[in-house]
Amino acid sequence: MVGAGWDIVLADALSSPTLRVVGTGSAILGAVSGALGCFALLRRQSLVGDAVSHAALPGIALVFLLTGTKTSLGLLTGAALAGWLGMLFVQAIVRTTRLDDDTALGLVLAVFFGFGLMLLTFLQRKPKASQAGLDTYLFGQAATMLREDVVLLSCVGVVLIAIIALFWKEFILITFDREYASTVGYPVHRLEILLTVLLVGAITLGLRTVGVILMSAMIVAPAAAARQWTNRSHRMVGLAALFGAIAGASGAILSSLVPNLPTGPTIVLIATTWALASLLIGGRRGLVWQWLRRRVLQRKLAEEAVLIGLYDLALAHGDERRGHSEGAIRALSPHAVGVRGRLRRLKQEGMVEETSPGSWILSKKGRDEAKHLVEKSRETS
Amino acid sequence: MTNVQLEIQLVAVLVAVACALPGVYLVLRRAAMLSDAISHSILLGIVLAYFVVRDLSSPLLVIAAAATGVGTVWLVELLVRTRLVRSDAAIGLVFPTLFAVAVILISLYARSLHLDTDSVLLGEIAFAPFNRFEVAGRDLGPLSAWVMGGILLINVAFIALFYKELKLATFDPEFAAAQGFMPAAIRYALMTLVSITAVGAFDAVGSVLVVALMIAPAATALLISHRLGLVLAVAAAVAVWSALSGYWVAHVLDASIAGSMSTMCGIVFLLAYLFSPSTGLVAQVRRRQAVRMTFALKMLAVHLAQHERQPEAATENRAEHLTEHIRWTNDFAEKVVRRALSLGLIGQEDGKLFLTEKGRVLASESVIEDSV
Amino acid sequence: MNSSLQQQSMLDDKPAVEVSDLTVAYHSRPVLWDVDLTVPRGVLMAIVGPNGAGKTTLLKSILGLVPVAAGQVLIFGKPLAQQRHLVSYVPQRGSVDWDFPTTALDVVIMGLYRQLGWIRRPGSRERRKAMEALEQVGMSSFARRQISQLSGGQQQRVFLARALVQNAQLFFMDEPFQGVDATTERAIIEILRQLRSEGKTVVVVHHDLQTVPEYFDWVTLINVRRIACGPVCQVFNEKNLRAAYGGRVAFIVEQQTEGC
Repeated sequence: MVGAGWDIVLADALSSPTLRVVGTGSAILGAVSGALGCFALLRRQSLVGDAVSHAALPGIALVFLLTGTKTSLGLLTGAALAGWLGMLFVQAIVRTTRLDDDTALGLVLAVFFGFGLMLLTFLQRKPKASQAGLDTYLFGQAATMLREDVVLLSCVGVVLIAIIALFWKEFILITFDREYASTVGYPVHRLEILLTVLLVGAITLGLRTVGVILMSAMIVAPAAAARQWTNRSHRMVGLAALFGAIAGASGAILSSLVPNLPTGPTIVLIATTWALASLLIGGRRGLVWQWLRRRVLQRKLAEEAVLIGLYDLALAHGDERRGHSEGAIRALSPHAVGVRGRLRRLKQEGMVEETSPGSWILSKKGRDEAKHLVEKSRETS
Repeated sequence: MTNVQLEIQLVAVLVAVACALPGVYLVLRRAAMLSDAISHSILLGIVLAYFVVRDLSSPLLVIAAAATGVGTVWLVELLVRTRLVRSDAAIGLVFPTLFAVAVILISLYARSLHLDTDSVLLGEIAFAPFNRFEVAGRDLGPLSAWVMGGILLINVAFIALFYKELKLATFDPEFAAAQGFMPAAIRYALMTLVSITAVGAFDAVGSVLVVALMIAPAATALLISHRLGLVLAVAAAVAVWSALSGYWVAHVLDASIAGSMSTMCGIVFLLAYLFSPSTGLVAQVRRRQAVRMTFALKMLAVHLAQHERQPEAATENRAEHLTEHIRWTNDFAEKVVRRALSLGLIGQEDGKLFLTEKGRVLASESVIEDSV
Repeated sequence: MNSSLQQQSMLDDKPAVEVSDLTVAYHSRPVLWDVDLTVPRGVLMAIVGPNGAGKTTLLKSILGLVPVAAGQVLIFGKPLAQQRHLVSYVPQRGSVDWDFPTTALDVVIMGLYRQLGWIRRPGSRERRKAMEALEQVGMSSFARRQISQLSGGQQQRVFLARALVQNAQLFFMDEPFQGVDATTERAIIEILRQLRSEGKTVVVVHHDLQTVPEYFDWVTLINVRRIACGPVCQVFNEKNLRAAYGGRVAFIVEQQTEGC
């Protein structure tokens, strides 16, 4: 039932013009925030996304309620300006007080958001914010995205990515080695301002789709995932854009297929799940591979200890043909548990022989190997 | 003032102070953003517990929420320990994941419920008086006042009992560990407090503004005082003031009380940031000006002393030279020379400056004192 | 190479670095007090002094990285802003994020960014130059390694290669021997000597007094103020060391004086 049914539903959904608009829009958003998120991640400013998206609320409230405009461009501008102002505050607080950036970020985030909430409720003369205005903004509302929104998203997105491409080597240099960049004469401070502007732009773009609370994840997750798969910065940015786009598109499609599944949280969950999966299996750094490598190494060391143990026993007794029990070997081995399994594996490799049940000696090959190991450990110590 | 107004203010004050106290330790630990992570991810705990007990008023919800909060901190630390991501990215990955799961679960399975995400995020303190605490038919006031009062009491008791342990574990965890104070246990105890407080408070002010109430009073207090006991007291005072003024501003403007409370927190912070007598911007500027003059006088003295016996003294030790080699503007150089002349540190002879005995003492003192 | 020779001869008459009346203060605390200093061309100079004496600050203020309260710095007779292309800087190893996703070769190519100018991308010419520089520091086989996979000494050599590729006349290095193995230390000092023999000037913040006479021919002793500056065999003596360090250096000095 599932197989055939889903095919049709999926094909149906993909041919729906609304979904195509929403899917494209979410993919563009994911790509832009993924690419710019890399710089936030590398500059250790992952939480800037959280602060800027919250700080944007009063900007949206003011633009919406003072000018009455509901156009995406107007609201975007207000959001970006307020978010940018929030960033300025964060930087000023960190520079001139002994409070750290976590405190400054949290303070600006929450106070700006509270102020925005106060503005909205005040101007709407309602004790509770109107569902229409605030809800879109808090959780995003990808489903209501229009063709014009996607056009705007694409235009702004292309501009942001183009600027990154133009100043690529400068941005990488100031991120990697700020001091060196200023000794060779780059206007480091101005470049940093530009980078922050781009980041604020990407964050405000995403607000409508995934909402305030979850926007920070769109900055962090694709970048964190991409970092695990490559050790080159340009590939990282490319991968992050790709991951972000896939999360955006697949989240939009999935949520249109499942009734009541909200788009923004679905996109974010896909992105963060992939980031966590990348931590586990990504590249050479992946935790699973690290663990496996450690296991293999430990096993090898334990087997070597058994060989050396048998070798020592043979030397002590002066009789190479005399068999030794597991107990005797266990007593000499630093890894007492699992000696039997190790002996069996060593037997398969032809390192040891079982002369009678429970009685073990080294083979010729095993003796040479053990001798070699003992000599090697003597050299290094 | 009506009874309802009084009760709302009471709840507001209790919430604000209960948040401010553990907030001080969060800010001191440079872990302020953990409050943001905790206050959002507790939603998942509430949702999961609700699916088990199917009752929104069950105390199990609070326990599950607090456990999720602590679990969030544990997950963040777990990710940081892998050394694959830094702590900022770890926070940025963990709490949106948990929050997104919670929102999805609510939308899919609990839509008809009274657990709408709006009220979770924004809270509504104005509803506090409607939910009464009744024992044997007697009305004992709003339930949330009792809940927040209890949480405040727990916070105060914990801080009072473990004052020195908390202090040590915050400032020097390694030394605390060496002394056998188990800083990890204290850290998790603190995070438990933060989680419980966030759970209790978010009914009233929502999960975003819990962050404002935790961080802003603490940050303000740290700008005003350097002594931990005083910092706690100032933070509590800021919290009380923000709660009360926030309530009345909201009342006058007919706006969200929680929003207005955090706006007031922000305003107090801004005032302290500008005008704090010890660390405020204004004080910083004023002090810098005073220091600049003293420093300039020393610099002049040292400069003259350095070049006094050298052949270039004739050119180096002239008033015009100061603007050229020491980066002073003409005005400032004149001011410094005038000041030095009036203090009797230097003398002047056809345009050439020389040190007086007093000036020479200052020069040698400056060099010795500053090189130690 | 030819243009580089011309460059050198044009600058012949001016000292590499001229510092006059330099005062630097953090807040109101002076870190450097009225320092005068002249570094002639073609020397290998160490800046030494106790911890907190302002060695790194001196370097950074010459390079315009910290705000200066007073004084003037001239590089080959002109302000730094006009001479940046002649100057190369090797920061302390701890100053960057070694987990950054980039390879050794990429880091060296960064030394050519300024020559490339805005927007233009590095191409095969830049890669070839960078490989030559890596070759020079004995790191060419590590070119494709991610930088966190290099040892401390190897990272330091990559930094040195980035400075070499700039083809500068004046090199500033901040504690290049800190935390590196003996092989790297020898390799670095060999390269520095070679630079000197090509007529270039090298200024190194150094903390090991023992090796000063062996490695360097010029030395500046500072402790907030300038204590002494000149050829090692003239100024690296007990009197100046005592002035800079207090009474803790007697035993080193006895060995040194016989060298000259």
